[in-house]
Formats: sequence, structure tokens, C-alpha cells
Amino acid sequence: MSEASKFTEDILKSGREKAQSIIREAEADTQRASDEAKSAISREADDVVRGARADADAVKRRQVSEARHRTKLREQQEKDKIMQAILDQVKKRTSELVTDESKYIPLLIHLIESGIRELGGNSAMVHLNKVDLQRKASSLEQRVNKSVGTVKVEWSKDPIEAAGGAIISTLDGKIRIVNTLDQKFDALTPRLLIEARASLFGETSQ
Amino acid sequence: MSGIETVKVIIDAERQAAKMIDDAMTEASAIRKRIDSLIQEQRQQMLSAAKKEAAGIAARAEEEGKLEAERYERESAQALEALAARASSKKDATVEKLVAMVMRVE
Repeated sequence: MSEASKFTEDILKSGREKAQSIIREAEADTQRASDEAKSAISREADDVVRGARADADAVKRRQVSEARHRTKLREQQEKDKIMQAILDQVKKRTSELVTDESKYIPLLIHLIESGIRELGGNSAMVHLNKVDLQRKASSLEQRVNKSVGTVKVEWSKDPIEAAGGAIISTLDGKIRIVNTLDQKFDALTPRLLIEARASLFGETSQ
Repeated sequence: MSGIETVKVIIDAERQAAKMIDDAMTEASAIRKRIDSLIQEQRQQMLSAAKKEAAGIAARAEEEGKLEAERYERESAQALEALAARASSKKDATVEKLVAMVMRVE
């Protein structure tokens, strides 16, 4: 081979090698880029699925939580309904018991006495409902007078609107102690509710 | 071979080598371009599959949550019925107890 042919061959060999190197480099670059891209896409896809799982858990928790809230509300409404029915019945039974003098008269006397004591002073006006005004004529007046001692008790002739019990006032009517059954019932209602809840539902405190 | 001919042959070889390199660069560029579109295509496919899986997870969760909520409400309704029945059986005694509280002389 001549010198020129050898030189030419070297030029072509160098060109080929350079060309192959360019292709190899491009292939290596693309392989690296492909690997990096796959890894990034995989992370991105995992994030999508992980996000969906988190959202799914939240959806389930929310649905169950809403169901719990709804049932709690229904339970409370049912309990309130039962409690209201009980209170209504207690009120009804209480007003019926007014006709049972053996139970009612001692309570009425107690309500009048405690009202007079609470009012203080030397005199008091007792206001009763229509039925109790008729009872006054019997032994009620005598028993009250006996128990309050020196306090001068006067009995109003005007009946009050109440299921039972009495209103005690000063003679001028400026101070009034309301000791009616309705008032007693209202005052006792928080305790009645606690007692009823304990008795019906086994709830010891609110 | 004359001197001029020799130079010509060498120049021609230089041209061929330069063309080989040029062609290689063109091919390298094409390879790089192909990988870009390939990556885009892979991304679309993988994300599409992930979104499909996510949609399936969401739908299953919705259904499972619904079923669990229904089961909870069913059990609660039964418990509530039992509670109402127990309360009803204690109602009369409770009323008497409360009436006694109201009528009690304290």
C-alpha cells in the first residue's frame, strides 16, 4: 500500500470511528434519558394512585362519619320524644293526683307554709285555684293557721289559674311567692329529666 | 500517482469522513428526537393507567363507604328500636317515680 492510500485509509477510519462514537453517545444519552423519564413517570403515576387511595380513605371515613352523625341525631330525637312524652304524662298524672286529697292536701299545706315562711312578715295573703278555694272551707284554713303560728293569714276570694298549689303574697300584693304545682313542676324539670334519663336510658349524667 | 492526484484522493477521503460524521450527527439527532416522543408516549400510557386505577379506587371506596354507612345505620336503627322498647317497658315506673318527686313534701 502506498503512503497516500494508507493516509486516506486512516482518514476514513478516523471518520468512521468518530461517526460511531457520535451514534453511541446519542444512544447512551437516550437510554439515560429514557431511564430517568421512566423513573420520574413511575413516581408521578405512584403519586396519582397514592393520592387516590388517600382520597378514597377520606371518602369512606366521611360517609361513615356522616352516618354516625345522622344516627346520633336520630337517637337524640327519639330520646327527646320519649322524654317529652314522659314529662307530659307526669304533668297529667300530677294534675290528676290533685283529686286525691290524702296525697294532695299535705303538699298544698306545705306549699302554703313554705311560701309564708319565704315571704316573711306578720301577714300573708294566700291565693288558691277554684277547687282549692272550696276545700279551704274545711280543715285547710285551720291546719295552715295552726302551723304558721302568729302570722295573720288572709285568703283571697279570687281564684288563680293553676293546677294546684298556691300563690302567697303580701297583703298589698307587691311581693308574690309562686308555689303552684306548675311552678314546682317547672322548677323540678331539670331534676326530673336527669332522673328520667337515668331510669329509662341508664344515663347517669349529661 | 502524481502529487496532485494524491492531494485529490486525500481531499476526497476527508470529504467522505466529514460526510460520515455529518450523517452520524443527523442520525444522533433523529435518535434524540425519537426518544422524546417515546417518553411522551410512555408518560401518557403510564399516567392514563394510573388515572384509571385511581378512578377504580375512588369508585370502590365510594361503594364500600356507602355499604359501611348503610350497615352502620341498619345496626343503629336496631339498637334504637331496642332502646325505645327498653324505655317503653320502664315508662310507667318512671312516671310514678317522677310524680312522687313532684308531690314530695320537702
